[in-house]
Amino acid sequence: MNMGCGCSIRIIALVAILLLALFLTGFVFGPIGSSFLDTKAPAFLAVTKPHIEIPPEGILHTPVLTITNTLIASWLTIIVLIGLFYAFTRKMKLIPGRLQGLAEVIVEIILNFIKSAAGEKNARIFFPMVATIFLYVLTNAFLALLPFFGTIGIYEHSGAFVPILRGANTDINLPLSIALIAVISVEYWGVRSLGSFRYLNSFFNFGQLRDGFVSLFKGKIRPAISGILFGIINLYVGVLEVLSHLIRIISFTLRLFGNMTAGEILLVVVCFLTLFSIPIFIYGLELLMGLIQALIFAGLTLVFGIIALTPHDEGSEHKT
Amino acid sequence: MEALEGIGINPPLFLIYLVNFIVLFALLSVVLYKPVLKMLDERQAKIKESMEQAEKIKQETARSEEEIKAHLEKARTEGQAVIAQATQIGERLKEEAKDSARQETESLIAKARTEIQRERDKTIEELRAEFADIAILAAEKVIKETVDKKKHRKLIDETLKESTTFKKT
Repeated sequence: MNMGCGCSIRIIALVAILLLALFLTGFVFGPIGSSFLDTKAPAFLAVTKPHIEIPPEGILHTPVLTITNTLIASWLTIIVLIGLFYAFTRKMKLIPGRLQGLAEVIVEIILNFIKSAAGEKNARIFFPMVATIFLYVLTNAFLALLPFFGTIGIYEHSGAFVPILRGANTDINLPLSIALIAVISVEYWGVRSLGSFRYLNSFFNFGQLRDGFVSLFKGKIRPAISGILFGIINLYVGVLEVLSHLIRIISFTLRLFGNMTAGEILLVVVCFLTLFSIPIFIYGLELLMGLIQALIFAGLTLVFGIIALTPHDEGSEHKT
Repeated sequence: MEALEGIGINPPLFLIYLVNFIVLFALLSVVLYKPVLKMLDERQAKIKESMEQAEKIKQETARSEEEIKAHLEKARTEGQAVIAQATQIGERLKEEAKDSARQETESLIAKARTEIQRERDKTIEELRAEFADIAILAAEKVIKETVDKKKHRKLIDETLKESTTFKKT
């Protein structure tokens, strides 16, 4: 912008004064002010006390399944993603237009991120899964910040207000489903690149146990005892390894679900308490949080995948 | 189980999300990843090809430049040789022309000289004849006596032949 310095400072000051005025209005007439100063809010500013519900609320009840507001939001996410990218990449040209360029930039940023971690050779293996997780989580989080999320809804018979759309990441089933797919993908990458036996061997190291039994049959007592002992320890380590892989599902799920739900609750509460001004900053924070969570989910999937692809050759160092 | 329901875990919903994700994965692969990656690869290949071609053209240009330079050098030396030759030929032609001119002059001079000689001889002859007549006339006048003309003439001729001054050279 080619505005003069003085002019833009004036605009910033104006915006700040406006925000301050809104904040004061919200403070005086909102729940805090009304409890301290005993003010009565005018009718158009009256806000009902938010009702926080952790499980997603059902919109359509069918015998088999209840369609929840979060499910509708996730469908919206899919429609938005597919619709946009279909429009961007419908007519691919060697010399790209702006929209095609945008799609290419998005793909290239994600691909370069994967390349920087996994190397040129393996990047294409991880790319579709990691990119899908990133785009899905990010779009879920960003769409949830739009004004019509959590505001437009219906009143149930019991009198409770149910919004039609709610951030899809705040339904624990969604993080759980992505986490399960991510972990399965990681194991699949490991098996595909190392072969099922070698991949299994990276969990359970049977080498020493076998050596121990061989020594026992040959009548060498000392190497037999140490071999069997260490073999059992190795098996135990393998069990721990398997457990740690399973726990990844839970950590993935709870991280995303927890952060997103907490963000949503924070927004609702801050909006209720201060009415104006302050929620703007919380929205900024939530925007950042959505990006960070998407990055963490996709990044961790990538890192686990890279670990699964590198063979653990621990058996060789104990061989005599 | 109660606690799981408390935070909203719901197996049918979970399955639907699973399907959702797989559908999204498949659709994004078709709509975004495949075409864009293909295009990126294609463009990369194209750029690489163009760069290689440019490099080749550059080399070719350098080579043809070298060739042109060599040609020019050759043409210059050739031209110089031609000029030298031409100068030589010119020199020779000049020399020849000079020679022939001299010869011609000499021959002309020689011819002129013989001409002059002949002219003189003729003149002398004529003079002598005239002189003889005059002498006869004079002698006639002097002597007043008509001598036989033929005899007279013979006499004079004899005299003249004896004289040294009019002798032919």
